[in-house]
Amino acid sequence: MFELHFWAIKNVRLGTIAPLLVATATVSFATDAKAAGTTAGSTISNTATASYTDSGGAPRTATSNTSNLRVDELLDVTVVSADPGDITTLPAATNQVATFTVTNTGNGSEAYALNVVTALGGDQFDPTATSIVLDTNGNGVYDAGVDAVYVAGSNDPVLAPDGSVRVFVLSTIPGSAADGDRGQLSLTAASKTATGAPGTSAAGQGQGGGDAVVGTTGGDGSATGTYLVQAAGISFTKSSTVVDPFGGAKIVPGAIITYTLTASVNGTGTLTNVAISDNIPTGTTYEVGTMTLQGAPLSDGADADAGIFVAPVTGPPAVPGRVEVQLGSVASGQTRAVTFKVKIN
Amino acid sequence: MRLIIALFLILSPALAHAADAVALDSSVFVERLVTAAGGKSRTVLEEPKIVTPGDRLVFVLQYRNTGSQPAKDFIVTNPMPGPVAYQGTNDAFAQVSVDGGRSFGALAALKVKDMDGQMRAARAEDVTHVRWALRDPIAAGGQGKLSFRGIVR
Repeated sequence: MFELHFWAIKNVRLGTIAPLLVATATVSFATDAKAAGTTAGSTISNTATASYTDSGGAPRTATSNTSNLRVDELLDVTVVSADPGDITTLPAATNQVATFTVTNTGNGSEAYALNVVTALGGDQFDPTATSIVLDTNGNGVYDAGVDAVYVAGSNDPVLAPDGSVRVFVLSTIPGSAADGDRGQLSLTAASKTATGAPGTSAAGQGQGGGDAVVGTTGGDGSATGTYLVQAAGISFTKSSTVVDPFGGAKIVPGAIITYTLTASVNGTGTLTNVAISDNIPTGTTYEVGTMTLQGAPLSDGADADAGIFVAPVTGPPAVPGRVEVQLGSVASGQTRAVTFKVKIN
Repeated sequence: MRLIIALFLILSPALAHAADAVALDSSVFVERLVTAAGGKSRTVLEEPKIVTPGDRLVFVLQYRNTGSQPAKDFIVTNPMPGPVAYQGTNDAFAQVSVDGGRSFGALAALKVKDMDGQMRAARAEDVTHVRWALRDPIAAGGQGKLSFRGIVR
């Protein structure tokens, strides 16, 4: 909070010019972190009035001149990432959206130039930024074909004080990126009027006819978005057990072979539309109604459940019968096991 | 940044209003913290060149009895300019108002209604008017200076 360290004007007398330098090395003030503040171009007018009694006892008044100050434009902008965390992606993926919010924290309407840098340190790959898109319809999410592609110098976003705009950066992920790799890019918004060291001023360039002066942000801001490759892989294993008609495990006609097909998803992320298909081996016949998924029976028909038995075609050309099971989305670290039985002819 | 002080504004002869025996002049300065070569900082008052939100202003009121008779019961009232938040004065006898000039007192003794209707202690930024009441008459030719500080909202 504000502390009462007072200045003092020494030796002011009408008719003399006195120095107004005030000494103190201890003066310190809290910075006011107000948004935008008084709009650039506003006038601060100060007038005082006085009343007194003259020597005749009559009430008198006096009004001062009005001192006017025009408020100049402060050039300040912030950019923040609007993604809740890493943007998960896949190798060679295109149009991967990184989302940012650009906010005018100055006190005048201002246009900003946008720029993306992808060659940043501390990551494993550089995404290729293919376009910057402005959230033209203001719904906060990227709408392909609806939101306007940013063209520098042509549709630079103009923001009112405290105004903000969503900006999307679309990238292509290199095909060489591996599971767990991160790639960063940064979006920079720079005030078109001026940037530079705080205090740098552009005479007459401020909104409302005053000067424009670079604020504490330097008149520009940037933020980083991070892509994270989550490349899931899948592996299949197949095993079998045999039960012969005599209670043993010999491969003889009439023996029943139980096949177990296991799909394991590794890496990170989730695989979608995973399906298992396995041909019935030559010399065997599918045992009707023996398909299971995770131990639960599946019907052979083409119906609502995940499994189907496709009957063999004698041909020509001959096509063996097969079982097909739709596993849908499988997250990394999970497995799915399908079993079915065949009888040796 | 020029650190030239424009006191001549205060000293302008135009401040003597013909009809008033006491003339009142208003001027404003920007207060800046300047760090000198040794890392030592000091506060300087500048003539306003660039003024932006967050800047500290010093409003100076200069009065002078231009008549030949003393002026008694001298009271100066200064409404706060809208874009400026009051930041105090070093005139110990000054009083402030937080209710649009209806009542005056020491800031520490004043209360305002909060957004939820509760009364709370007034803060500097609540001040709407500053007032100075001189106890002693201003002698003919007598003069003085009043001042307060503000911050551009």
